[in-house]
Amino acid sequence: MTAGSSAPPVVRAGPVRRWIRRTRSAHRDRGESAGTAYLLVFLAVVVGGLVHRYLRAVFWPVAPNASALAGVALFLVVLGTLHPALRRLGPVALSRPATSWLLTAPLSRRVLLLPALWLAAVSAGGAAGLATLAIVGHVAPRPVPGQAEVILPAIGALAGVGVLLVAMAAQAGRRRAAWLDGAASLVLAAGLAGLVVDSAVDLPPAAGAWPDDTGLLAVAGALALAVTTGLVAAVRGLAGTPNDRILEAAATAGTLLDSAHGVEPSFVTDLVQRRYWARRRLRSARLRRRVPVLIAQDLLLVRRRPGRLVALAGAVALPALLASAPPWLLAVAVLAGGTVAAGTSTATVRTDAGNPVLLRLLGLGSRAAIAQRLCVPGVLAALWCTAALTVLRLLDVLPAGPWWALGLVLGPVGAVIAVRRARAGFVDNGLLPIDTPMGTLATGPLIGVVVGIDMLVLGLPTVLLIAVGGPLTWAGVTGQAVAAALGVWAYLRLTTSPRRVDL
Amino acid sequence: MGEHAVEVDGLHVSYGPVPVLAGVALTVPEGAGVCVTGENGIGKSTLLRCVTGLHRPDRGEIRVFGGPPGTTPEFWRAVVTTVEPPTWYPGLTTREHAELVCRAHGQDPEAAGIDEALDRFGLAGHADAIPPSLSSGQKQRLTLALALLRPSSLLVLDEPEQRLDTAGRDLVAGLLTEYLEAGGSILMASHDDGFAERSGVHLTTMASLAPVPAAP
Repeated sequence: MTAGSSAPPVVRAGPVRRWIRRTRSAHRDRGESAGTAYLLVFLAVVVGGLVHRYLRAVFWPVAPNASALAGVALFLVVLGTLHPALRRLGPVALSRPATSWLLTAPLSRRVLLLPALWLAAVSAGGAAGLATLAIVGHVAPRPVPGQAEVILPAIGALAGVGVLLVAMAAQAGRRRAAWLDGAASLVLAAGLAGLVVDSAVDLPPAAGAWPDDTGLLAVAGALALAVTTGLVAAVRGLAGTPNDRILEAAATAGTLLDSAHGVEPSFVTDLVQRRYWARRRLRSARLRRRVPVLIAQDLLLVRRRPGRLVALAGAVALPALLASAPPWLLAVAVLAGGTVAAGTSTATVRTDAGNPVLLRLLGLGSRAAIAQRLCVPGVLAALWCTAALTVLRLLDVLPAGPWWALGLVLGPVGAVIAVRRARAGFVDNGLLPIDTPMGTLATGPLIGVVVGIDMLVLGLPTVLLIAVGGPLTWAGVTGQAVAAALGVWAYLRLTTSPRRVDL
Repeated sequence: MGEHAVEVDGLHVSYGPVPVLAGVALTVPEGAGVCVTGENGIGKSTLLRCVTGLHRPDRGEIRVFGGPPGTTPEFWRAVVTTVEPPTWYPGLTTREHAELVCRAHGQDPEAAGIDEALDRFGLAGHADAIPPSLSSGQKQRLTLALALLRPSSLLVLDEPEQRLDTAGRDLVAGLLTEYLEAGGSILMASHDDGFAERSGVHLTTMASLAPVPAAP
């Protein structure tokens, strides 16, 4: 044991990292790395060969098919989505072992964190650049004027790095984080609103007026200067990134890896939820006395998620994006949206399904518990579907008829799907895999994905009503209401029991 | 058989090839308390899990209030256990958890004395905190507070003194004594003989419950 009063000297991080890499690779078989590289190249060639036509359709269709408004709106959506993704990942992060052993060692913090910064910059810039290339492909007239197909993706990539710098600023300070995250949400909302307007107004593809190369180059130059300045400042301030933020990011990255390794998405859901509530400052409220206890609990928890409710309210316009898609897809989108709205209130079901300790303490039977737990999700789904179908009717996407009533009777369908998914619990990796000529297929994750979605069958009357395209009649609404009521009754009857507490 | 809260006879449990309980017999009379002691790994928690129906034994008979331990709401309205680690509802505060438990059992939260209970367990200052943010000792206090707040006839507690400081142990011991005096029954496992004695329960060793000791 060595102890002393003077601080140990700062050690260079590079040699330590190289030593770790060398030692780890010494444990691997020499052929293993070559085999992995071969597999990756092989996969890239095979997958590229299979999907290159689709990729071309996604990135560069033969003729432009989107308006300038859609292009700008999509760009805002890309930036607005990139920010929360980077924030979830850190963006400055270390692996879990590195946080345990290197973060606490006398190493240069800046050098330790620099690789993470470069990786994040390349990823953010690359992702935004590719997305911008796809947007240009859909919007730019043919032939593409000047060098727009090069300059605009470059601007997109620079904007991506800019978003990374914003995410880093949010990572460094909790106060800044709240309003920077809020601003990113506004950018995303503005982009989605632009898409909805574009879809509703049905603007023609962009043509004619197109910025010349000089203007685009000036924008790219200014952006490059700003991003470079920002990057220099970020590198200088890198050592000041708070430890708790790095540990948080490492835990997220580790959980994502665990989740991918175990094909278990609930790890990430739980982590996000734990962090959300840990940051909230709550005041104990009284549960409503006049409603059953679990409904009172769900009402209280929904009231505590005003941001989620606002996002759901904003999202009622999103199905309008599919105005020109096949009608059945529109119907499925409405059902999916209703399910997401219902899912706002199913975290308690997930808790009880994962560990029924609290249900035993409450002494409630599974039938009573699930019947109560279906209520608040049902109301949320009903309200959401009603609003979404009303918007579609107002935009003339749907023909005449009492669509609001159809939305109301879709509530139980959304609730059953959301609660069934929440009850699914962990993915069962103990199930027998299926051997196929292409390799082994794990059945547990496959079933995990399908659970809940199978209950979409309860919304079949709605899919038919929208797909047929005629005016909606009350008979149609009644048909959906009967299907939903029978579905809830059968779900409660077949999957719960008044003689059992566990879900 | 109706005068006993818990009756266990000829209980056998193995984990794989390793026998943990071999022919265990135990009786907890109604209104009485029994504390099982013994070194780690001797099967105390396994015994408690079997009594609460959370572990299926290989052989043997278990009756709780004259019936088999089960998964019914009626069983869990009579029995409270801390054998399993607790989970907490996300977004619900400490006080709201207590109110939820009372309301589920038809109790008026104020009449049940939620605030007094939290105060007694030293949790009054954490009423607005979410349970995951509490220390392990505070979580243990909350678990015991919830277990004692709601009505029940039998407490099955696995090392209730764990993670509690001296004052906490004295408090819980006093509350368990009150529970017995009110007619409740207790089956618990503990490593603290003094705590068990202060709780008013009868001490017995795992070794004395089995005619044939289980192989290590």
